[in-house]
Amino acid sequence: MSPAILLLLVILAYPIFYTVQISFAEMDLSTFTATQWVGWDNYLTVIEDDRFWKSIRVTGVYLVFALPLQLLLGFGIAFLVNAEWRGRGIVRALFLIPMVVAPVVAGGVWRMMLDPLWGLANYVLGMFGVGAIDWLGDATYAMATIVIIDTWRWTPFVTLIATAALLALPREVFEAAKIDGANWWTTFRYITLPLLVPVIAATFIVRWLGAVKMFDIALASTGGGPGRATNVINLFIYEEAFRSLKFAESAAMAVIILVATMVLTSLFLRGTRRLENRF
Amino acid sequence: MSASLRGARRRRPIPVGHYLRIGGGVLACGLFLFPVCWMVLTSFKLPVEIFTTPPTFIFKPTLVNYISNIAHSDVPYRMMNTVIVATGAGALSLVAGSMAGYALARIRLRGAATMGALILLSRGVPPIALAVPMFLVSRKLGLLDNHITLILAYCSFLIPYVMWLMRGFFMSLPVELEEAAKLDGCSRFGAFWRIIVPISLPGLLSTLIFSVILAWEELLFALVLTNRFATTIPVAVAGIAGDTVNGANWGVLTAVGTLTVIPVVIFALLVQKWLIKGLADGATKG
Repeated sequence: MSPAILLLLVILAYPIFYTVQISFAEMDLSTFTATQWVGWDNYLTVIEDDRFWKSIRVTGVYLVFALPLQLLLGFGIAFLVNAEWRGRGIVRALFLIPMVVAPVVAGGVWRMMLDPLWGLANYVLGMFGVGAIDWLGDATYAMATIVIIDTWRWTPFVTLIATAALLALPREVFEAAKIDGANWWTTFRYITLPLLVPVIAATFIVRWLGAVKMFDIALASTGGGPGRATNVINLFIYEEAFRSLKFAESAAMAVIILVATMVLTSLFLRGTRRLENRF
Repeated sequence: MSASLRGARRRRPIPVGHYLRIGGGVLACGLFLFPVCWMVLTSFKLPVEIFTTPPTFIFKPTLVNYISNIAHSDVPYRMMNTVIVATGAGALSLVAGSMAGYALARIRLRGAATMGALILLSRGVPPIALAVPMFLVSRKLGLLDNHITLILAYCSFLIPYVMWLMRGFFMSLPVELEEAAKLDGCSRFGAFWRIIVPISLPGLLSTLIFSVILAWEELLFALVLTNRFATTIPVAVAGIAGDTVNGANWGVLTAVGTLTVIPVVIFALLVQKWLIKGLADGATKG
């Protein structure tokens, strides 16, 4: 136990402490050290920065669309994949493949496929009579782009968890329901869904913890653009810190995001527990 | 199985819905695999063949992207860096994390539940909150652009991940195993090493693989903490994709992508049963 605790103190607890420290200080860029205690100044600067709030909003929109979409698609596809036949094992195994494509590679390859002039996506859509879509140049479509790429990469993860959960459902209960004359909807609403709630909740938490860190896909596909339309918060802080060298303000933003993530995660954990008790 | 039973199964009418489900599952799988296949195909095309209307599916494959653009670049060198860093970080966090996970699963301490919640919360720490101080500290200590620095940085998210997965795994093992070992004169560590580790090998292995993959594809820390000597493949890919001066070189990007994905895919498919089980347990247990 102790080696892990020691390591975590050095590489997790200390950096967080140091970030908090920088966020209250002024940075001297000639020596890269914190010089002077400035109180809440950096926080005030950040809170008055429209770009910060814009990034928060962009991240929120991405989360609100991507997470439910991935859960719905994941469980839906799991239902299809679980149909009993000889190739089921192979199909399940193949779903591992998108998960092991590095996000930055996924972002790059999708950017190639979504190229407005020559990309494959617009060609295929064109066959169905859809006009060329400016996937990366239009603010709304650019957001759709990162949601699509993220969903492509993470739905298989949900699918694999869901296939295992669906297979673990107790058969007898469903047979009993059938004998009692329950129809498709009542079976789903009163048996399947309550039995799945713990898994759905756990999957949601895991995906949420991953999705708030959204960075690579946005960087490689849209680069945060057009304008700031897909500039998710991690990308924004990264650029402020390492391109504009505003370490103190970035640290303040990082602390705000850290606290917000912790609070939201605790709320979600409490919420999922309550949800599990209700069903 | 007797012949009569098999005959009975064949006679049972299979509803159309069943075939629709199979078809839907295969279709979904195909859709999700397509971008990977397209990447591999593109990597064997000449630059002029990459963007054509209609898209080319049948062409004379060329190795030009691999030989002239990759072999003579720094990609092989970065690939080696990635291997070193990913396996180093994976192994270190597996050792430290599984021991801590075992302690959390077994030792009856007040606040063990709180520790569990803390680990989960620590998985929510935004990496950028660690990247800024790590950059400043390692710059001060002269540790920038160093494999060890990157390995340690990766442990910051891998150790909580391993602790979480392995805690759930160890909790599913019966306590009687160690009690028996202790009766036979094993120390606590002896019981862990001789009894728990051997029967946990599948869980340990799948956790190791996931950790290596997570380190393999990590971008943010690699961007921040390295610049020449220790840079990894994701940094190279981000550079190619974000090349606004010459435009992205898709041939090279897809070739590098293929090179990084193929070994992981082969490896993942070889141990897929363990991986799928580890994945499902990790998300739902604990």
